Amino acid sequence: MSGMRWKGLVAGVLTFALAGSAALGQTAGVVKLGYVGSLTGPHSGWDVPALEGMQMAVTEINGAGGFKVGGKAYRIEIVQEDAQSKPDAAATAAQKLLSDEDIHVVMGVLTSVPGVPVATQMAKAKVMYIGGFTAMDGIVGKPGNELSFRALDTDDTVAKGFVPVVVKELGLKKVGILVPNDDVSKTFVKAYQPLFSQAGVEVSMVEFFQPGTTDFAPVLRKFQGKGLDGMFIGYADPDAEAIIRQSLEVGDLPKKFVYRGGSGAPAVKYADKIDGFVWQILTRDLASSSDEKVKAWIDRYKAATKKDIVANTYWALTFYDAVFMLGKAMDAAGTTTDQAAIAAKLKGMVYDGVRRMSFDKDGHAVTDVDIGIIKGGKTYSIPEKVL
Amino acid sequence: MLLDIIQTGLDGVMVGSLYAMVALGITLVFGLVGILNFAHGQSVMLGAYVCFFLVSAGHSFWVGAIVATLAMGVFGALLERAVFRRTLGDPFAGLAVSLGLIMIIENVAAAALTPDPRFMDAPVSGNFAVGPLLLSSQRSLVFVISSALILGFWLFLQYSTLGKAIRAMSQSRQGAALVGVRVDTVSRSIFAVGSALAGAAGALYASLFAVTPFMGAAPLTKGFILAALGGLGSVPGAIAAGFLLGLAESFGSRYLSASFRDGYGFIILIFALLFLPTGLFGAGKARV
Repeated sequence: MSGMRWKGLVAGVLTFALAGSAALGQTAGVVKLGYVGSLTGPHSGWDVPALEGMQMAVTEINGAGGFKVGGKAYRIEIVQEDAQSKPDAAATAAQKLLSDEDIHVVMGVLTSVPGVPVATQMAKAKVMYIGGFTAMDGIVGKPGNELSFRALDTDDTVAKGFVPVVVKELGLKKVGILVPNDDVSKTFVKAYQPLFSQAGVEVSMVEFFQPGTTDFAPVLRKFQGKGLDGMFIGYADPDAEAIIRQSLEVGDLPKKFVYRGGSGAPAVKYADKIDGFVWQILTRDLASSSDEKVKAWIDRYKAATKKDIVANTYWALTFYDAVFMLGKAMDAAGTTTDQAAIAAKLKGMVYDGVRRMSFDKDGHAVTDVDIGIIKGGKTYSIPEKVL
Repeated sequence: MLLDIIQTGLDGVMVGSLYAMVALGITLVFGLVGILNFAHGQSVMLGAYVCFFLVSAGHSFWVGAIVATLAMGVFGALLERAVFRRTLGDPFAGLAVSLGLIMIIENVAAAALTPDPRFMDAPVSGNFAVGPLLLSSQRSLVFVISSALILGFWLFLQYSTLGKAIRAMSQSRQGAALVGVRVDTVSRSIFAVGSALAGAAGALYASLFAVTPFMGAAPLTKGFILAALGGLGSVPGAIAAGFLLGLAESFGSRYLSASFRDGYGFIILIFALLFLPTGLFGAGKARV
């Protein structure tokens, strides 16, 4: 082969390669989105649905051709790690995600014990993190946490609308508070106690129980004979169901329950034995909603996961809309990697998805929620407009 | 006030009878075979699930409890034959194996059954009045059943042939073998009986509290406190310690703080180790 012919061939190959890479440049890029959550262990009831919701959003975005940033389409790829419901495993899982330099945004964790080490490491590494656990309320907005977001409303935000509805629906005058002895409870008791007083309800006693307690009889005896007409309880379903069940066993206790938790499941079996149960649905009511957007989402969820809707399914909406918001924020910022710019666009954005949600200037979610009610043997929900 | 104290005391005795049942299995195995079987809590958990699923399938609580007890008895015998027999004479190996079993059983249960807590319908519900006292119907039933099982177990040890063989082995394994006791059979029986008691305790737990794959940890921890408190190997000690712990938790939660509930047992244990190092009844060594 002559030199001229070699040069011609090399030039041809280079031209083809350049043309090919240019053509690839027009095809979708990839944004890696980290997910850390408890996929095993006792907290998996929260984080598995949360991951399912995120996967749904990603599938829907990718199925529609991805999202655009500066005219270029991007598809999302989830990189997931298991926090195993343990803080040490959560820290290791976070480290694994942080070791991937292509991951600029991480979502996940709905429970505080594994959540805190994840949020701490993300903040130290200056990686954008959107979590869901309650203890994030004490992290988001603090110096050094400018890239931290919480995808669920704070207690302060929810409580303002929740307490008046509860008082009206259950006709409360005097309540006792029984919650686990941890930072989460101490934080929300401070938020709720004055709101009950403002609503004309006396909070006559507050008791903290050891987390993990199964036998509530002795502490429930403290509430007997106090003239209470309601109990404010929190915040995990097993605790709530045990308290309701054992209140009925022990006797001489109120039969109206206000639950600072996210499911009606604890009271369902006792609906005909109690006088009322009100809970917070921090995303949307999937059991009895008349909202067409919610109904359509339920159909898509069932098709995507091959699962029925159960009490914990609504956690799947925690990050679902946030993924769409993230795509829009990246588009508005004109970048998929500049986290400060993306975070700035995310704060203040209002998104009307399955949830109507927004993030305030600190990164706290401000979203409309639903309030679930079991009363007179009937289950229904009332929308609480927050936005 | 007096009424409140009596009521709180009854709450403590009711839950204490459950603790005693779990502690019995632990102290029995340790006293006679020298193995601290940490997997004992898993028999409680599995027993609870057996009962839960049978009741959920439409069977009565009684069927569920009996099947749970028998199934865990078989499970204990199998564990002895397949695992613990090979660690006899090596307590650390037995300890390590039982810790491994906890991980395996707990995680298999979580994977197969999901970690979601489940509540079983109790055979009786509500409460009833005895004079001025208001008693939980199911807790009273649990107290009666567990007390009957504890009494039955004590009678079994005192008067049955196998019970006498167990007592002989507790005094001297070699001596028992020399007088014709089949120590292998007795060892297997001890595991079976201890595990069956745990299965029965699991069924009773399930009638009061949530059933989860991780529920074995609390009864196990308390069981070990009680076994140590009562004197490792001492059946009367384990029973007395069970009731003592129930009372301590009940009075502590009622009149001090419910946020320190599990701490009361450890306080008693520390005092017992300081002032009664051989257990409540000064067992010193295995005594059944």
